Amino acid sequence: MSKLKNKVLLSGAEIIWECLLKEGVDTVFGYPGGAILPAYDALNNYSDKIHHVLVRHEQGATHMADGYARVSGKVGVAIATSGPGAANMVTGIATAMMDSSPIVCITGQVPSAAIGSDAFQEMDISGAVIPVTKHSYLVMDAKDIAKTIKEAFAVARSGRPGPVLVDIPKDIQSQIIHFNYPEGPVRVPGMPLRKYPEVSDLKNAVKLIMESKKPVILAGHGILISGASKEVAELAELVNIPIGWTLLGSGAIPSSHPLNMGMMGMHGEFSVNNAIQEADLLIACGMRFDDRVTGNATTYSPNSKKIHIEIDPSEINKNIKVDLSIIGDLKTVLQQLNPMLTKKVETNWIDTLTTWQEQSSKRDIINLKTKTLYAAQAIHDIWAETNGDAIVVSDVGQHQMLEAQYYKHDEPNTLLTSGGLGTMGFSLPAAIGASFFRRDKSIWVIVGDGSIQMTITELATAVQENTNINIAIINNGYLGMVRQWQQLFYDERYKETPISSPDYVKLSEAYGLKGLRVKKRSEIADAIKLAESINGPVLVEFIVEQHDMVYPMVATGADLNDMISRPVHDQFQESEM
Amino acid sequence: MKQTLIVFVQDEPGVLNRVASMIRRRNFNIVSIVAGRTEQKQITRMTLVLNEPDKTKQKQVVNNLKALIDVYDVVDVTEVKCHVREYALVKISVNKTYIEDLDLLFSKGHCRVLDQDENAMLIELSGNETNVESAIDILNKHDVLELMRSGKMAMVSGNSDQNKPKLVKSDPNWATQRLLESY
Ligand SMILES: Cc1ncc(C[n+]2csc(CCOP(=O)(O)OP(=O)(O)O)c2C)c(N)n1
Ligand SMILES: [Mg+2]
Repeated sequence: MSKLKNKVLLSGAEIIWECLLKEGVDTVFGYPGGAILPAYDALNNYSDKIHHVLVRHEQGATHMADGYARVSGKVGVAIATSGPGAANMVTGIATAMMDSSPIVCITGQVPSAAIGSDAFQEMDISGAVIPVTKHSYLVMDAKDIAKTIKEAFAVARSGRPGPVLVDIPKDIQSQIIHFNYPEGPVRVPGMPLRKYPEVSDLKNAVKLIMESKKPVILAGHGILISGASKEVAELAELVNIPIGWTLLGSGAIPSSHPLNMGMMGMHGEFSVNNAIQEADLLIACGMRFDDRVTGNATTYSPNSKKIHIEIDPSEINKNIKVDLSIIGDLKTVLQQLNPMLTKKVETNWIDTLTTWQEQSSKRDIINLKTKTLYAAQAIHDIWAETNGDAIVVSDVGQHQMLEAQYYKHDEPNTLLTSGGLGTMGFSLPAAIGASFFRRDKSIWVIVGDGSIQMTITELATAVQENTNINIAIINNGYLGMVRQWQQLFYDERYKETPISSPDYVKLSEAYGLKGLRVKKRSEIADAIKLAESINGPVLVEFIVEQHDMVYPMVATGADLNDMISRPVHDQFQESEM
Repeated sequence: MKQTLIVFVQDEPGVLNRVASMIRRRNFNIVSIVAGRTEQKQITRMTLVLNEPDKTKQKQVVNNLKALIDVYDVVDVTEVKCHVREYALVKISVNKTYIEDLDLLFSKGHCRVLDQDENAMLIELSGNETNVESAIDILNKHDVLELMRSGKMAMVSGNSDQNKPKLVKSDPNWATQRLLESY
C-alpha cells in the first residue's frame, strides 16, 4: 500500500522510490556505491514493485534506460553513485541528448556539508552534464525531492524529449521529513514548445505542395517520437510523394510501403539522394538536416523549396535554410494539414525514381556468390530468417550502415541505434534495456567486433537477468568504418584499425551463455533458428570478409548525389567461384 | 553586428553557468553579460550582448536560450528603441599637461572623479556606449593604469506590451502523442 495517503514520516531515500512509482516506473538500471547507499537500502522495501537491474558499468545503465525509453516511449531510469559512478554516465546521457531520448538519471552525491571540499568521490555532476542534458538538478533539502523528481520526469518527456539528471546528497537521502506528494501540474519558467501549428503556415504549405512536381518527404526520428507514422504515410499517399528516411527514421514508414524509397545520406540509396538533389520541394518531417544526410550543405538540393515541420524552433535554418517552417508536434500538424490537401495529378516523378533505384541495385553484394561471407550478406540473411520482424539494436560502424541498408523495418521503433552521437558500445546495453519492455518480440543486437568490446561486460548483466536477446557480432577483424576512411582518404595506411578479439564462443561459455560461430553463408539459417529457440541470451559470431566497404558513399564535402559505388572489379573476382 | 538580449531567468544557483555554457557550446561570442536582481523576487535579469551579425543565428540563440528550463523569456532589443547603458572605472596617473583635456570630459557629464592623490586619479564613467567609448578614447591618451567596464544594461523605452517578457511559470507536461499513449 502506498504511504502517500496521509502525511507520513519518510526518508529522502524512500521519497525517491515513492516518486518513481508515481511516474509508473517498474524497472530501473543502476549500480550502487557509498553516496547512493541510503536509496539502495530503502529499495529493500520496494523490490516487489520496482525491479532493479544491476549493470556492470554505469554507461551501460544509461544506455539501458535509453533503449527502454526508445521502445516504450516511457521515461527510462538509471541510478548511480557519486563521482566515478556519475562520471561513467556522461557518455550515455550525451547519447540520449543527441537522439532526443527521455531518461532520468538519479545520482548520489557526497553529504551536502562536504560539497565543494573535494570530498572522497565528489564530482560536480549536475554542473558537468549541463551541456548534455535538458536540465540537471542538485537537491539540497529532502523537502524538494518529490517536486524535483516530478519536474525531472515532466521535463524529460515533454516537448522534444531528452535526458535529465537529479543529484541527491547522501544526508538528504537519510533526512526524515513529513511527506506530502505535490499534486497538481508541474510549473517551470521555461515555456513549453508549441503543439499546434500556425494556420497561415499550413495554408502556405498547401500552396507549395500543390504546386510542386518533384516533391520528396524526408522522414526523421521525430515521426517516431511524435507517433506520426500513419499521418506521414497519409500525406505521401494523398499527394503521391516519395519518401526517403534518415538513419533514425528507419521503420517510421514501413519499408514495404510503395512510396518508401529508402535511406538518404552518406550511405543512403543513390536514388533517394539524387531525388533530393533534383527535387523542387522537400518536406522535412521531424529531422534536422544533420551533416551526415546533407553532404555538402552549400549545394544541397539547390532547386527546391523547403518545408520544415519541426517541434524545436532552434532547429529551423540551423544547417539548411528553409522557405517555410511549421513549428508544432508533427502528428498534430499533419492531422490538420492532410485534410487541406487534394489528390494530385500523376507525374512521372515516381517512375524516374524507380528507374534510378533499379540502376543502383546492381551493386548488390547479397546476390553474388563470394568466397568469404560478407557482412552485408550476414545482415541480409538475419533479416530474412527473422522475417523482418525482430527489434534490432545496432552499434556504430560499417555494420550499422549495412543494417540500415539491409534490415528492412516495417514497424516503428524496431531499430534502435545511436545516430546523433555515434556511440560505440550502445547496442548491447540498449538491447538489454529494450528487453524489459518488449518481451513479445525477438531482439537482435547487430554489433561490430570493435563496438562489442566497448561494453562487453554487460554480457554478465544479460546472463544474470536471463535477458532474451540474440547478439550477432559481425567480426571483420577491424574497426571497419575507420579502416574504410583510411583506405579512401589516407592512402591505405591502416594505423591502429586492425583489432583482435577474444574467442567469442569460449567467452560466451565463460559468461554462461550459448555461443555460436558462423563462417559460411550456408550456416546462417540454422544458427539463427537455434538462437531464436533458446530462451535467454545467445551470441552468434559471424566471421566476415575483412576488407569490405560500405557502398555507396558520399565523401565528406561532396555533393549528395556524387556517390562512390562498389567497383565493378570487386564483383568480378567474387563471382568466380 | 552586436545583438542585445534581455534574458529573464529563475534566480537559482548555477543559472549563469547554464546560460554561459549554452552560448559557448553553440559557438556564439559574448561581448558582455550583466546579471542582477529585479523588481520581482526570484527573477534575475540579464543583459547579454553578443557579437553575431547573422540574422538567422540571432534567432537561433534566442530559441536556444528559451529552451533552457530556468529561462522565463528572452527579449531581443537589437532593433528596439531602448537604452543601453554602461559603467566604467578608470585609473590614470596624474599628468598636469592634460588637465584641460579632462575638464572637457567632465563638462559633458559622463564622468566623475571619485578619488585623487598626487599620483593617480580614479574616474567613473557612465552613459551609453558612445559616451563611454569616447571618454575612454580621450583617457587613453593619458597614462591609463587600470580600466574596468561593467558591461551593458538595457531597458526598453516606454511601457508598451510589445516587448514585455512573459514572467509566468507553465506546465511543460504536454507530451507528444506516443509518450502519452504509453501510459
Ligand atoms: C566511443 C567511440 N569511439 C570511437 C568511435 C569512432 N569509430 C566510429 S566507427 C568505428 C569502428 C567500429 O568498429 P566495429 O565495431 O568493429 O564496426 P565495423 O565498422 O567494423 O563494422 C570507430 C572506432 C566511435 N564512434 N565511438
Ligand atoms: Mg569491425
